Amino acid sequence: MKKKLMAAGLAAAVLGASLTGCQSKPAETTAAETTAAETTKAETEASSEAETTKAETEAAEKPYEGTTLNVMLAYGGAEAAFDAFTEKTGIKVEYVEISTGKALAQLQAENGNTTADIWFGGGVDSYISATDLGYLEQYVSPEAEAINPAYSDADGYWTGLALVPAGFLVNNDVLAEKNLEAPKTWEDLADPKYKGEIIMASPAISGTQYAILNGTIQAYGEEKGWEVWKGINENVDFYAQGGGEPGPKCAAGEFGIAVLAMTGGTFAMEAEYPVTAVYPEDMIPWTPAPIAIFKNSQNKDAAKVFVDYFLSKEGQEALREADARIMARGDVAIPEAIGTVDTEKLIDQDVLLFGSQREALLEKWAAMVGEKDAK
Amino acid sequence: MNPRTEKRRHGRYAWAELGDRLILTLVLAGIALFILYPIVSVVATSFFKDGHFTLEYYRELASGRSLKLIRNSLWVSSLSSILTTAAAFFIALAAYAAPGRIRRFLRRSLLFTMISPPFVSALAYIFLFGRRGLITHQLLGLSVNPYGWHGIVILQMIGSISFASLMLLPSFDHMDQRLVLASRDLGASPEKTLFSVILLLVRPGILSVLFTLFTMNLADFGTPIVIGGNFKVLATEAYTQVISTANLGRASAISILMVPAAAVAFYFYYQSLKKNESAGGTDRNAMDGEPAYTLTGAVAGAAWTVTGMFFLVMALKYGNIFLSAFSNTASGSLTFTLDYFGKLPRSQWNSFGHSLVYSAVAAAVSAFLGILLSYYTHRRKIAGMRTAEFFALLPYIIPGTFFGLGYVAAFSHPPMYIRGTSAIIILNLVFRQISLTNKSANAMFSGIDRKIEDAARDLGASRLEVLFGVILPLLKTTFATGFISIFTSCMTSVGAIIFLISPGKNVASAELFQSIENGRYGVASVQAVLIILVTVGINMAFMSLTKRRERGGK
Repeated sequence: MKKKLMAAGLAAAVLGASLTGCQSKPAETTAAETTAAETTKAETEASSEAETTKAETEAAEKPYEGTTLNVMLAYGGAEAAFDAFTEKTGIKVEYVEISTGKALAQLQAENGNTTADIWFGGGVDSYISATDLGYLEQYVSPEAEAINPAYSDADGYWTGLALVPAGFLVNNDVLAEKNLEAPKTWEDLADPKYKGEIIMASPAISGTQYAILNGTIQAYGEEKGWEVWKGINENVDFYAQGGGEPGPKCAAGEFGIAVLAMTGGTFAMEAEYPVTAVYPEDMIPWTPAPIAIFKNSQNKDAAKVFVDYFLSKEGQEALREADARIMARGDVAIPEAIGTVDTEKLIDQDVLLFGSQREALLEKWAAMVGEKDAK
Repeated sequence: MNPRTEKRRHGRYAWAELGDRLILTLVLAGIALFILYPIVSVVATSFFKDGHFTLEYYRELASGRSLKLIRNSLWVSSLSSILTTAAAFFIALAAYAAPGRIRRFLRRSLLFTMISPPFVSALAYIFLFGRRGLITHQLLGLSVNPYGWHGIVILQMIGSISFASLMLLPSFDHMDQRLVLASRDLGASPEKTLFSVILLLVRPGILSVLFTLFTMNLADFGTPIVIGGNFKVLATEAYTQVISTANLGRASAISILMVPAAAVAFYFYYQSLKKNESAGGTDRNAMDGEPAYTLTGAVAGAAWTVTGMFFLVMALKYGNIFLSAFSNTASGSLTFTLDYFGKLPRSQWNSFGHSLVYSAVAAAVSAFLGILLSYYTHRRKIAGMRTAEFFALLPYIIPGTFFGLGYVAAFSHPPMYIRGTSAIIILNLVFRQISLTNKSANAMFSGIDRKIEDAARDLGASRLEVLFGVILPLLKTTFATGFISIFTSCMTSVGAIIFLISPGKNVASAELFQSIENGRYGVASVQAVLIILVTVGINMAFMSLTKRRERGGK
């Protein structure tokens, strides 16, 4: 009963909107038509005026009830926060987990003609490429005011949801067995004593690892930066083919040290394995985890509601609950689950350089590592 | 006047002829639309950059690095295919010649061990034999590096040995048992009989298996990525090109490098098929009841050693995955937990439903198409069909992700806009697997006497009647094994469809792959266990169903 009344209210709202001259897209028209049929049915069933009014107010709050948004997700654990959004807005969310590199390849193959509405989380470099290729919709959310502009695209093609800091995970058993201390800084990683003990992802594949490389080089300057990485490369046997791999490999004791994203999941491993997550003392590289709307989306208005929600304080808190990260909004506290982060140590970097320097940086990287990593 | 031509004027024949043409056209149209068109769409990307024709990607390939990749690919694929085929020969021999109950047990075990979701072997291998492996480090105190070409060979062997043995088994069952008996009666030793008679009789089967494995291993990117370390092959290079630099053009060019090698293997395969056909053979003397060959002496020793090792490896592999699903395997201690069940993604059960439906539909269509393709190519020998058969094999040769991207490129715009539908996933599964039944049907056809069809035709059967009344019933088992192996492979494989799933249309194997990618190994183990249990359940149901029908038929 309640559902039908809400449908009735929704239909009324949609019809009202189109009567007052709002632009209505084909998708909405069909939605209005179907619900209009239900309206007549529901209206006859409506027993009292009071209930109808209640339904109308609900509909005003949930103008996109029944719409389904398709999300390409590269933000581990975030799906738990989608339920809160659906409850609040009535918009259903379907998602598929796909790393941003693969998502970009897919977008290119289909020439931006995607069936997804939202791109959620992952490596910012793919978002920059997608912007250049014209696959993203420009949208500056009113909520974006509360977000540091350094975390978002200046033209509003993508906005930072959260910050992903990077650091080390060390296996205490392995290091004790080999009489090694845990590394404290990036330069420590280049110490020959760690030879064969470090695992990290290929920066060509992992957005986090790319951010680490680019960020540290921005901080050190070209010359010093490459010198440090040359030393680290000497200690790495091979590069993992994804950002999810180094953590578990270190936890299983295959390697003593993993270089990785410091998320709630990383710290959760401390409870299960003989590992410790360590923030580097000299500087903490980071990357924004963005959100964007696809230009090809057929549900742009609902998609904007979605973006607004996850950039709002409420949505950000729900998201932090789902997967502990440093949220993009300054007024959302840093979760305890990711240890004590000294935000002063976060590298002062230009995120836009991630995009413009990518090709040249990775080519230089490939030349340096040679056989160890796929170019 | 020939009485047959007179009969052909009859209306029934005309209709049958038309129906026959129609089926042939559908098969060819399917290959053109769902194999050639997607491949051409994605290959085109290697010749165009920013809308202009270019050979730049190919020039880049003419470097020392590419040569090295080719060498690596050939080395690993040859080695693992040869070793797998050799081992599969002995396992198939045991499964053919063992006494009744053991034989049935072996065959069943082979079917069930085909059910292996991606990366399950790799996880077990690293866990047991890695740098901190339970066996190598904890038990033997060694620190062995599992990464490298040897790791790829070992895992490719473990991954394809059940499949190879099962594919080889019909060759044993259908060889002329009288020849084996004659050899033994004339006083040849078991060894002599094995090498001089049996080996020759099953040779087409062996070559067919070897060839299939070679192309599969060449296109396999999952194993080298997980265990190759810094040893790179063509398939991994194509894959990482796509996901790291989104450079479709270069990836496409690299994938094309794999085609000549596979084409050469294909040529040898045809030669062996042809030879076998001219030698002739009838199914009349195929195995019925007990085998003509019994395992004794050194042959028995070899067969049982290989089979025993196979069982040991499988026990370790499945034992490990069940263990990791229910326990926290932190170094040193094992504690029981049900945590991972609570952490399953919320779309898990929907994805399972999709997997079951997609796999069943795809398996039925694909097995049927594979047999038809074989029939028109090798029985009817229609001109140009060999080319069609080669095209049908392409999805097997090129890396799965590449075939998937071809679908994305071809079907994301009119006239065939099917992105985001279930149809695109099912079609992809159908055409990716088509050469599987095609090959086993080829092997079967080479063992079935052509005179059976000639007799049917002489007795007045139309083309369609021969196809549906004579050919297909003879290939019932080929269809059944084809169906169940394609079904199993659809349930467990992930390659091409990773780009085709869309929100709300996810499948179980892709969810598992996503868990692995995110390092959620505990959850991944639970998902793997679920896939294994469900697929085993379906296999068992299918088996008891076919068995009952066989009994009913008798």
